[in-house]
Amino acid sequence: MSVAAAPPSVPTPADGVRDAEPTTSRRGLARGVIGGLAVAAVAPLVTAEEAEAVTRAHRRKCKHWHRCARHRWHTCRHKHRCKHRFHKAKPPATTDPGTPETPVDPPPVDPPPVDTGDPDFVVSPIPTAESLHLGNRFTYGMTPALHAQMKKHGSPQAWFEAQLNPSAIGDAKADAMQTWWLSINLDATAIAQRDKDEIEGGWMAMANYARWCLLRRIYSQRQVLEVMAEFWENHLHIPLNDDGVYTYRADYGKVIRSHALGRFDQMLRAAITHPAMGISLDNARSTKKAPNENLGRELLELHTVGRGNHTEDDVKNSARILTGYRVELWTTWRSYYDLNSHWTGPVRVLDFTHPNADADGRAVTDAYLTYLAKHPRTAERIARKLATRFVSDSPSEALVSRLADVYLASDTAIKPVLLALVASEEFKASAGLKVRTPTDDVVATHRVMRTEIAKPVDDNSTANSMLWQTTAIGHSPFAWARPDGPPERAGAWSSTSRLLASFDIHYSMAGGWWPKKDATYPTYASWLPAPTVRFDAFVDHLSRQVLGKAAPARLVQACSEAVGVAPATSVDKDHAVARWKFPLLLTTLLDTPDHLHR
Amino acid sequence: MADAPCCDDFRRTSRRSFLRGALAVGGAATVAYGTAFTQTSYAATGSAERVLVVVSMRGACDGLSLVVPHADPTYYAARPRISVAASSLLAKDGMFGLHPSLAPLLPLWNAGKMAAVHATGLPSPNRSHFAAMEDLEDADPGSAARVGWLNRLVGRDGVGSPIEAIQMGGGVPSTAVLGPQPTLVTSGIDQVKLPGATTATEIAARRRSLSTAWAGSDGALGTGFRSTLDVIDEFAPVHATSATPANGAVYPRGDLAQALQDSARTIRADVGAEVITVDHGSWDHHTGIGTIASGNLKNMADEWAGAIAAFFKDLGPLADKVTLVTISEFGRRVAENANQGLDHGYGNVMFLMGAGVKGGRYYGRWPGLTNTTDADLLVTTDYRSVLSEVVTTRLDASSAEVFPGFQPESIGAMTSL
Repeated sequence: MSVAAAPPSVPTPADGVRDAEPTTSRRGLARGVIGGLAVAAVAPLVTAEEAEAVTRAHRRKCKHWHRCARHRWHTCRHKHRCKHRFHKAKPPATTDPGTPETPVDPPPVDPPPVDTGDPDFVVSPIPTAESLHLGNRFTYGMTPALHAQMKKHGSPQAWFEAQLNPSAIGDAKADAMQTWWLSINLDATAIAQRDKDEIEGGWMAMANYARWCLLRRIYSQRQVLEVMAEFWENHLHIPLNDDGVYTYRADYGKVIRSHALGRFDQMLRAAITHPAMGISLDNARSTKKAPNENLGRELLELHTVGRGNHTEDDVKNSARILTGYRVELWTTWRSYYDLNSHWTGPVRVLDFTHPNADADGRAVTDAYLTYLAKHPRTAERIARKLATRFVSDSPSEALVSRLADVYLASDTAIKPVLLALVASEEFKASAGLKVRTPTDDVVATHRVMRTEIAKPVDDNSTANSMLWQTTAIGHSPFAWARPDGPPERAGAWSSTSRLLASFDIHYSMAGGWWPKKDATYPTYASWLPAPTVRFDAFVDHLSRQVLGKAAPARLVQACSEAVGVAPATSVDKDHAVARWKFPLLLTTLLDTPDHLHR
Repeated sequence: MADAPCCDDFRRTSRRSFLRGALAVGGAATVAYGTAFTQTSYAATGSAERVLVVVSMRGACDGLSLVVPHADPTYYAARPRISVAASSLLAKDGMFGLHPSLAPLLPLWNAGKMAAVHATGLPSPNRSHFAAMEDLEDADPGSAARVGWLNRLVGRDGVGSPIEAIQMGGGVPSTAVLGPQPTLVTSGIDQVKLPGATTATEIAARRRSLSTAWAGSDGALGTGFRSTLDVIDEFAPVHATSATPANGAVYPRGDLAQALQDSARTIRADVGAEVITVDHGSWDHHTGIGTIASGNLKNMADEWAGAIAAFFKDLGPLADKVTLVTISEFGRRVAENANQGLDHGYGNVMFLMGAGVKGGRYYGRWPGLTNTTDADLLVTTDYRSVLSEVVTTRLDASSAEVFPGFQPESIGAMTSL
């Protein structure tokens, strides 16, 4: 059986492009597409559609998506019959005979007019170092619009505090996107039925969920909420393509989002007893007779106290406590608490003890999860994870311990911990130290490019195909295949392949070539700050728009070298750098360490 | 290695040093200088005396269909609709025969360049694709280090060019290549270049520009950036090598064929790639395995065999330095399911092809089959024994280094000659 899915670097079809083969069982479908989002170790598992012989009949009706390697603007759904399939890569013309070119005399560059920053934040034309840092860490990318918002609040701190109260922030544009994909708002029964009827396969529902998350990250005004929702969804990670989780996974994400700025003990209880978690880590089929240890173990090892703090007996008892939360897998998908499945008898996990005599184990589960949430080792683990995500790859023990204290003192409430983190000297001193993950790179690039993405009409629509940008770069939302969640440290995201993929995506977007359908990018000339401007001032303007800061001399030089234009050259809308050389100019900014770090 | 230079060490050192473009003066000094040298220049073109190609058959292929135990009556009893008739098998011996779709590989088999080892696998069953692949490719049970066996293999002398190990096709590093040793993971040769530049002048300008922008950027990504420029340099001869397959080889369609074609081109360019790993899948045939005339298994096997046969033909005389091994995360059940498919099982077959293979025969101890719903082909040979034999005979590697804590048993299927 072939399940059309995404080879990691080849954008692939979304809904409805599965080869019509009726024999797939639901389970087979789910399994065959384990690699559907092409993430982590099995990316190539998904090349199944390629593996099917490409018969003449297939070529005739083929609906596989492809992008021409040479004509990057060409995308179509006829991969196996399109004349473009024979084309080899050759970037868009880089010689325009009509345009005079100024030979580069590489600098000494006159530094462009540098804005020294206004002491009064409210009138500062560009973010201050402090606001840029806060924006880069707690949003998906600084933009002029975000800077304007911060100014409206009077200070970056005031903006941050306002962000911690997301319900007070209007978010009409992002909210409307929730209706773009039907399954995001359906219940498990309906989602399963659509899978069964081959209207929307489970893996497609998961791809659509990932798309919705990407769009929220780009457009939501509640940026801190989105950032924290992702953080917790990665901490309490459920891979999108685990068998059967598609039925409950979108709902699970919404539950996590609802607790993302709340209290960890409440979030933990909601997450561990959620059917998606039960399906993913086998608690949904765990019984009194044979408690499945999978969730009981990961709860201790990954979600709370961490490795090295518990014994195998603790794992057994942990699993026993959790028995009872069942799901009728592969049939009705009903989730229910089953008194007959709950293991009864005294339990002890770490210092938690309970007689556990009641056939209804929900009370003991609540007490147990609350105990774990408030355990000092959990506090330390959460504190370290937050500090690693938002401060640096190796935060100091002092910071970790201080954040853990705040967490415990505030009864696992998350906001006080974030406020303490942001107020710390260590946070303030950490600007630019974190590597932007591949997914964040795609999202940030859309933000600074001001891509306007419209409701999708088909598989080629940007709202759909942008997911393949993230798979091409090696990391799409919640697709990390194992329960430990994606790595947070720089080493994981600094490979040659990642960099080249990032550069490729930047260049495609800088040119407005892909993704393109049902999306608009600003025209090249519209990036000019004035009808006529010196090249170095143009670079400086772009730097302020894209990187949130004035262009240092080195950047002007890099841009000058990239496009072969001297800094003092006068540029207008007819100049090469506002026309066919513009993609190369813009990609030079997107390829900088500034854009690839946060 | 540094404190006790011997012939093996010297040979490896000199090979690696040559790879680095360093002067081989032998012994510890070379290693030290070699290491230092790598930090300043990767510009020299390397060379690999011997190449290991690993084909991962993702999704758990059915080894019992590919190498059929025709003399085990349980096989036929357990698979009334999907078994492969003894009469249709190729290269039959008293016990086994090859699926007819493997016909393109028959010349290799008959020339004694291809062997199969049956009933191989992990030391204990694991039916989760991801967990099994992770265990299989990490190949270091009990360690939390997350270093794959191929990473340990190319990292064994501590000297590293990122193109010593290449994962061809696929954007995310597989577990096997993960680790401290830099490796190249790319979806294909065409992707190993700077986007936005084609001509030599453009490439030079782009490099200069990027180097300016990244000057002084330290940290992991800064290192990654410099490594990227090195990769592009080292890879340049590959782009200069003709993309047309040699020796009249014709590849079938599909990603495996494309990846192997790119691999052959990379080997021909001789840039120092010692390990190339390629994925092929999905072999996850829960339904519609079919017959030898049609069906999911035939389609996959046709493509797989055709691509590998074309790869060896394309290599021509270069095949004398290339050994190919196949691996799959686990095997499938003995008995067919209600959908003419096979659910997740345990033991599987591994193929060995090319240089150093004592081929034309089947290896492994046959455990016999059981015909119950849940019965698996049992594992009598740890997959690491097979891999260990390959890397020790062909690449002078130490088994203990590549497969820590594992005592390999001898299969006798490989020779260092």
